[in-house]
Amino acid sequence: MAIQRVRPEFVATNIITGEDRTPRVVLEANRDHNSGRTARLEQVVFVNDLSPAEALDAVCDREGEIDIVTEVSPADARRVLDSQFARLVTIDANRMLTGVFNTYEVNDAPLQDVRMREALNWAVDRHRIVQEAFAGYATPLAALTPTWCNGAVAELEPRRRDPARAKELADAVGWPEGRALRIAADASLEGIARMISADVQDALGIASEIIAVPADEMVAGARALIEKKLVPPWDVLLNPWFDLSSDNPAAFVHREFFGHDGAFRAGPPDPEFDRIFAELARTIDVDRSRALAEQIDRYVYEQSKALFLCAPNALYAVNRHVDFKAYRATFELADTEVSAEHWSRQDE
Amino acid sequence: MSTAESEMLQRDREADPVGTINVFDPHPLNWLFITWNTMEEPIRTDHDGYITMALAESATWRDETTLEVKVRSGVRFQDGEPCTAHSIKHDFDEVQKWAAPHPPGTHLNFHPDAECVVEDDLTCVFRLPEPDGLILGKFRGFHIASSSFWHNHGFGYKKTGSGEGHW
Repeated sequence: MAIQRVRPEFVATNIITGEDRTPRVVLEANRDHNSGRTARLEQVVFVNDLSPAEALDAVCDREGEIDIVTEVSPADARRVLDSQFARLVTIDANRMLTGVFNTYEVNDAPLQDVRMREALNWAVDRHRIVQEAFAGYATPLAALTPTWCNGAVAELEPRRRDPARAKELADAVGWPEGRALRIAADASLEGIARMISADVQDALGIASEIIAVPADEMVAGARALIEKKLVPPWDVLLNPWFDLSSDNPAAFVHREFFGHDGAFRAGPPDPEFDRIFAELARTIDVDRSRALAEQIDRYVYEQSKALFLCAPNALYAVNRHVDFKAYRATFELADTEVSAEHWSRQDE
Repeated sequence: MSTAESEMLQRDREADPVGTINVFDPHPLNWLFITWNTMEEPIRTDHDGYITMALAESATWRDETTLEVKVRSGVRFQDGEPCTAHSIKHDFDEVQKWAAPHPPGTHLNFHPDAECVVEDDLTCVFRLPEPDGLILGKFRGFHIASSSFWHNHGFGYKKTGSGEGHW
């Protein structure tokens, strides 16, 4: 557990340090269920003793072994599309890829200045990242709220790369001579970090140092970020996140990145953000709540509170006889069905 | 899936659950997805991610600090035990024992001085010391379990001796 604060209120986040999965987890239908989402399948078996590559082979190349593979990489989408046994199911998921700015005063990179943060947002080509790093399976973001969620601001457009505007803003602030922009990312995001680095070099003439965080250092890095006692060694951290619903992204996303109790806040608290959020947290009127959620997303956009990138799709490889309906905020199977041609029904 | 298969599935929806699927899910939130596939909460999210009632039939503000939850009638847990307002109250009292029960963090906590009062088998009322406009979202992580779950497992109780971080 990473304890962020004890007084006046206790604030903490639990850090998952490992998974202890059994080889199989078997779910059986509750036939007496009565909540309007009665299971259509008799049994769901989660298979945990395959590698992702083995699982993808099993769903794409044959039947009877694996019926759904989640978290298909965009790089593997074509293989699924070309499969005779599987189809590709995609959905605009409630997932966000964002760069957290280190805005602590002791950081000598001038990210405390909104102009420098905005310069980086103009410098980076999020549309190219979507097309090249995600093969088009993502949506560029203006700020943190995807357009399909409550609280999205209709007139906010994802910034289109504008190197001249970026340079003008950055020059007005000034970047320390010879100081590299330190971009941290876990190994899976290192390629995107390099795309950002190239854009920043091209637009602003600022070189970057990519800090690829090894898997065995991720827990320590997460703890330091959450507890906020140690200043991070990076300027920008590529941080994938998600939302539990589409109703109020400010509660689970914006607050986590910028709130006084946010796990990913990497700088001093922002009184204006906290003021708006506090009002939202106490508002039970739906219309007022939506207006405040929009105000929050507009505020973080105008303040360039983060390096806003994109909302990656969720990709699934699904056996051709399985009717799976994807969810934006979760992975649920209650309404998944199989046809009579499915391998599990051949004894009927 | 062909049109004929889709039509057959439509007919199957009138029948009992059929078939088995094997799933490979490497997502780090698999533990949460398993929970959401096996347990119920007062609310859920639909395909678009929006909150919809689940165990709760309705959630209505009586005033700024009093939320009335009507529980769906006739719901049973997997072991046959009826799920009622008493189940909600019991699980609320369990989650309130812990300082940081939810892995994502304490922001999902209910106010420590909040109360859940059962008014009848299908009605419970949450009395809050201050307005909580985020409480329906918090219900997403408010898993409701049967008595046997609490006796035999609990969220981390049996395995670790604590519910901290295991909801």
